[in-house]
Amino acid sequence: MVDQSIAGAGTMATASDGDRSGRARIVILLLCLGLAIAVMLSLTSGASDASAVSVVGDWLVGAAPGNAALSARDRLIVYDIRLPRVILGVLIGAALAVSGAVMQGLFRNPLADPGLIGVSAGSSLGAVAVIVLGATALAPMTSVLGTLALPLAAFCGGLATTLVLYQVATRHGQTSVATMLLAGIALAALAMALTGILIFMADDRQLRDLTFWQLGSLAGATWQKIGSVGPIIVLALAAMPFLARGLNALALGEATAGHLGIPVQRLKYTAIIGVSAAVGASVAVSGGIGFVGIVVPHLLRLAIGPDNRYLLPASALLGACLLLLADAVARTIVAPAELPIGIVTAIAGAPFFLWILLRKRGVVDL
Amino acid sequence: MIEARDVSVAIGGKRIVANVDFDMRPGEIAAIVGPNGSGKTTLLRALSGDLAYSGEVTINGRDLSVMKPVEAATMRAVLPQATTLSFPFTVREIVRLGLLGGCSGALPGEAQRLPERALARVDLDGFAGRFYQELSGGEQQRVQLARVLCQVWAPVLDGKPRYLFLDEPVSSLDIKHQLIIMNIAREFATRGGGVVAILHDLNLTAMYADRILVMHRGRLAATGSPQDVLSDDLIERVFDCRLRVGMLPAGDMPFVLPQSAA
Repeated sequence: MVDQSIAGAGTMATASDGDRSGRARIVILLLCLGLAIAVMLSLTSGASDASAVSVVGDWLVGAAPGNAALSARDRLIVYDIRLPRVILGVLIGAALAVSGAVMQGLFRNPLADPGLIGVSAGSSLGAVAVIVLGATALAPMTSVLGTLALPLAAFCGGLATTLVLYQVATRHGQTSVATMLLAGIALAALAMALTGILIFMADDRQLRDLTFWQLGSLAGATWQKIGSVGPIIVLALAAMPFLARGLNALALGEATAGHLGIPVQRLKYTAIIGVSAAVGASVAVSGGIGFVGIVVPHLLRLAIGPDNRYLLPASALLGACLLLLADAVARTIVAPAELPIGIVTAIAGAPFFLWILLRKRGVVDL
Repeated sequence: MIEARDVSVAIGGKRIVANVDFDMRPGEIAAIVGPNGSGKTTLLRALSGDLAYSGEVTINGRDLSVMKPVEAATMRAVLPQATTLSFPFTVREIVRLGLLGGCSGALPGEAQRLPERALARVDLDGFAGRFYQELSGGEQQRVQLARVLCQVWAPVLDGKPRYLFLDEPVSSLDIKHQLIIMNIAREFATRGGGVVAILHDLNLTAMYADRILVMHRGRLAATGSPQDVLSDDLIERVFDCRLRVGMLPAGDMPFVLPQSAA
């Protein structure tokens, strides 16, 4: 090889130039640690004074009678109220952040977010339809599916929205940002109008459920809810790592990804179905929690770069951390009452989004 | 061997490429030339498997239309005209994407170092840590070529020749880098691979191409060696302007000199 000596010398000098995988691994490790701490704090903070020490102590000693470090009341609070809430927070935070990252890879656009481009609105429509019509028009479906009806309907709503959006916004393998955002607005408006019709038809009890649910909240997390949406989210998240290499290639455009050997159509549809499932399941239990999907991947890209092999797992971890943090704020800022978590993420996330737009002015081609 | 038989491509009901026939043997550089809008890129995209076509294309005896992306990726690499990114990838991260299909053909243990070596070949030594989006158009094009080279590092894999499809590989490059890139193509062909390149510079074409495909209004107007194809009549007719084709005194290489438009 003619260039052996030159390349050899270059390798010595620049062996890791432009390679951020080492840094990414460290960040992922730190995020694991951070998540462990966040989980611990969430489990032990709140109106009851069950402390971190006693929870850990209880785990170590087990629930041996007479030896328990926790009172029965504390155990109830930790295991049946806080733990399901923490698990749900972790699942939904991870689902929303990873969905954002995958969506951005799919649309080749850092501004794509399930909440911004109408996917969440589509999911909401599906969920509201089940809540309002579950006992009447959709009774056959809800009786067969049971607790799965809600997440499944939300999934279908999200899937339909994403598919339409992708068809509208993508021409010849290129997605126009402007078209995507505008089509997202139109689809969200349509979904919200249809949701409005359903709300108009709802009775008083349903209305109360809907209002609280739409603002987004982790309150009311139960083991049963985790049982119905947990598997969907875990399954969707488990599929995402297989998309990472393909999404990296997709950054070069659909045609080039295909030239590199990626089955682009299959990648796109797996990504769309995965995102719809994850977002649908999240929306079904916790309503609209916005901006996690755009803030988390964006922060991480600054730290570890856009390589999806690291970005996706890191997004899952940071999304889970941030949602637990937001939930902690939601639970404590107006204690003893509780703020819907969707309000917290929007208040923190919306200005952040504007900041991204300002920074990217001239870089992102709108 | 690439064989194209009666290839036609229609986009939105409009026929862009009509009844193109040609064979390409490994060891050759085939240059596609022709005026803007004559169907050059469309033809190359059909050969790359991006566009539906009628007729038949085989690469190394395999029908292109039934090939899965991963199989096609082992046989050919494609350099598009320009590639823009929306995410801040480093140059190394982009070049490494060429190794995605695992078909570089590099020796075991060598693959790790291919990005550096490919960058050195396109004269971008030391660029691995730079951000792609911050490079000039010509540098970006060379980064993409380095990525393409990683994908088909060995011009022959398992006894089968491989191909480079290059869409205007030198259009945004200065003269030095035009020559560097064309020399890479020449070396790839010499070592048993094949190159199909869309070129605009007829003199560069005359210098490097073993065979020229002249596209004109979607059809193959002529095909053959530079000496055969580059004639006053044909070039003036196809490009619709006044040109003089001469012969370099030193050898048998033709050159093309534009005359004033008036």
